[in-house]
Amino acid sequence: MAYFFELLINGALTGLMYALVALGFVLIYKSAGVPNLAQGAVVMTAGYAVWLFMSMGLPVWLAIPAAMVVMFLFGLVVERLLLRRMVGQPIIMVVMLTLGLDILLRGLVPGILGSAPKSIDLGINFAPVIIGDVFINRTSLIGGVIAILLVGASLLFFRTRLGTKLRAVSDDHISSWAVGISVERAIGISWGLAGIAAVVAGALWGSAQGVDWTLSTLLFPAIAVVILGGIDSIPGVLVGGLLVGILGSVVPGYLDSYVGGSTRDVVTSVIILLTIMVRPFGIFGREDIERI
Amino acid sequence: MKWLRTTALTAALAFGSVTTAATADEIKIGLLQDFTAVYTFLTGEYNQGQQDYLTLINEEGGIDGNTFTAIVRDTGNQPQRGIEAYNRAKEEGAVLFDFLSTPVSAAILDQADADKRVVITPVHGRGDASDGTVFPYIFPMMATYWAQAANLIEFMKTNEGGLEGKKIAIVHIDSPFGKEPLPILDALAAQEKFEYKAFPYASPGNEQSAAWSEVRRYQPDFVMIWGAGGGQAVSVKTAIQNGIKPEQIHSVIWLAETDAANVGPMMKGVKRFEATASGLDHPIIQRIQEKVITPGKGAGDAKNVGTSYYNLGVATMAVSVEAARLGLEGGGPLDGDKLKAGFEKIAGYDAEGLMPAITITAEDHQGGGAGRVSEWDGEKWAPVSDWHAAYPELIRKTIEDSAAKYKEGH
Repeated sequence: MAYFFELLINGALTGLMYALVALGFVLIYKSAGVPNLAQGAVVMTAGYAVWLFMSMGLPVWLAIPAAMVVMFLFGLVVERLLLRRMVGQPIIMVVMLTLGLDILLRGLVPGILGSAPKSIDLGINFAPVIIGDVFINRTSLIGGVIAILLVGASLLFFRTRLGTKLRAVSDDHISSWAVGISVERAIGISWGLAGIAAVVAGALWGSAQGVDWTLSTLLFPAIAVVILGGIDSIPGVLVGGLLVGILGSVVPGYLDSYVGGSTRDVVTSVIILLTIMVRPFGIFGREDIERI
Repeated sequence: MKWLRTTALTAALAFGSVTTAATADEIKIGLLQDFTAVYTFLTGEYNQGQQDYLTLINEEGGIDGNTFTAIVRDTGNQPQRGIEAYNRAKEEGAVLFDFLSTPVSAAILDQADADKRVVITPVHGRGDASDGTVFPYIFPMMATYWAQAANLIEFMKTNEGGLEGKKIAIVHIDSPFGKEPLPILDALAAQEKFEYKAFPYASPGNEQSAAWSEVRRYQPDFVMIWGAGGGQAVSVKTAIQNGIKPEQIHSVIWLAETDAANVGPMMKGVKRFEATASGLDHPIIQRIQEKVITPGKGAGDAKNVGTSYYNLGVATMAVSVEAARLGLEGGGPLDGDKLKAGFEKIAGYDAEGLMPAITITAEDHQGGGAGRVSEWDGEKWAPVSDWHAAYPELIRKTIEDSAAKYKEGH
C-alpha cells in the first residue's frame, strides 16, 4: 500500500509541476485565444535565462526576478513582432506561427548559450521527505506548493481591472476595441505573464533535471493537462495537472517492468484522446456554442 | 567576444557549412552531427575536440604534407538531413564521416558501403557493425554498448564483492539504445548467477520517480543507469533520493562533468564506463593547449578542453588520423579504400595514453572493445580499473550473431 501512496503523492506533485508549464499556455489562451505551441520552448528559454543570470554571479533570489523581467519583455516582443501581424489571419496560421517559434527557440537558444546541460542550484535539500515507507521528492513538493500559489495568484489577477480587460479581449476582440480596450496591449501582457510563469517552471524543472533542450518536451504533458482541465480554465490547470501526474505515475509504476517499456507517454496520449472524444472542452473549460 | 564567435558558428551551421581553409593536399572529414536535437548534450564538446585535434595535426605539418579539413554541418539527428549532408560532403571530396547519431549512421550504412566511404561510429551506432566482414566501411573503433555493459558487470564482479546471488537493477531510457545492454545482461546473469531487472522510463527522462520507487523496493545490490543527457542527472538524483548509495550506481559512457555539476556533491562515488581518459594531463591534450588553444586557434570555449566528451572527440580523430597515415604509406591520394586499409592496419595504438591500445583488423572493427571504469571523486573522474576488454568471447559472439542476422535480411 505504501508503494501505491508513494506513486500517488509523487505523481500528484509532478502533475502540479506540469501545471506550472500548463499555466502559461492557459494564460495566453484565456487572454488572446491563441494555443501557444511554443510554451515548452519558452519554459526552456526561461530556464536558460535563470541559469545565465546565476552564472553571471547573481544569487538565485535576484536571478529569478531578473529572468522574469527578461521573459516578460520577451513576451511583449513576441506579440509586437509576430502576433500583431497575424490579426485577422486564420487561427491555424497563428498556431503554425507558434510552432515555428518553438522550433526557432529550441535551435537558437542552446546554439548561442550552449547545448550541454546547465545546472541551477535553488538550494533545495536533496533528501526526500520520508513518511513511514513513503519517500516524497522534496523538489516536487516545493514545486507543487508554488504551483498552487501561482494558480491562486492568477485567479486573483483575473479579478483585477486589468484581468477583466484580458478576459474581455479573450471573449471578443472587436467588442473590446469598441469599448476602448487596447487588444494588442492585452495580448502582449498575456504573453508577458506566460513568460513569468515560464520562469518559475523553468527554474524548478531546471533544478531537477538541468537546463537543456529537453525542457521544451514538457509541452506534451502540459498539453494533456490543459486539454483535460479545460484550455481556458485556470483552476482546470490544477485538477488536470493532478490527474495527469497521478495517472502518469501509478499506471507506469505497476505496468512498466512487466511490459518492458515505459507506459507514461501512452497514458498521457490516452488522456488527450479520451478527453477530446468525450468532453472536448475539458473538465472546467467553457463550452462555446456557435450558430452554424 | 565568445558570444560573437558562438553566434557566428550557429549561423554558419544554420546556413550549411563551416570549412577551414583548403589546401592542395587536403584530406576532408565530414563531421555531420546533431548540434540542435537529441545529442546536443555532447556534440559541442566532442566536435570541438575533433576540430582542435585536426588543427593540431595541421599545425604540426600534417601527414607528409597532407593536411586535414573538417566539414562541419548540422543534421539535427534526422536521417533525411544526414543523407543530404553526406551527399554534399561526398561531392566535396570527404573520405571519412562521423555522424555521432545512431539513426543517421544507420541510414547511411548501405550507401557508404556502395560509395566506399569510411564511417566511424565511436561508442554509438550498431554494435554488430564491429563485424568488418559484414560492414566493411563502418568502424565503431571503440567499445560498443555491449562491451560497455560487460565491462561494468565485470567490474562489479572483481572489485565489488562478486556477483553470485546478487541483484542488479538496470534503469534505462525506453528506446533501442536503452535496451542495448539487455542481451548481454541475459547472457551474463546465467553465466555469473546473478539476477537483474529492467526498469524503463519515458524519454527524455526528465521525470523518473515511478521507476525509482520500484527500484527501491527491488533492493538491488548494484544499479546500472543507461540514458543520456539531462536524464542521466535525473537518474542519479532520483536514485539517491530513494536511498541508493552513489557507490552502487554504474553508468553507461554518457555521464560527464556537466552531469556531475547538475547533481552536485552527492555525485561523489558514482561510477561510469569510459573509453578515453578525461583531464588535461595527457601529451596530446597538452600539445593542443600549447599549439591550438593558446594561440587562439581553438574551435570553441577553452574551458571545455580536457572534459570527457572533448577528449573523446580528440581520440576519435587521433585514431582516424593514424588510419590516414597508415593508409597513405603506399602513396596518395587518400581514398575510401586506402583509408579502410589504414584502419585495418592499426595495431596497439593508444593515442599517447589517452585511450586503451586498440588493434583493428579486417574482422574486428571495434578494435578489441577495451575500456575502464572511473569514479567521480568530487572534482574529476578518477580511474578505478585498468584498460581492458571484458568477456571478449561473449561480445564477439553477440556481434557475429547479430551481424549474421543483418546479412540474412539483406
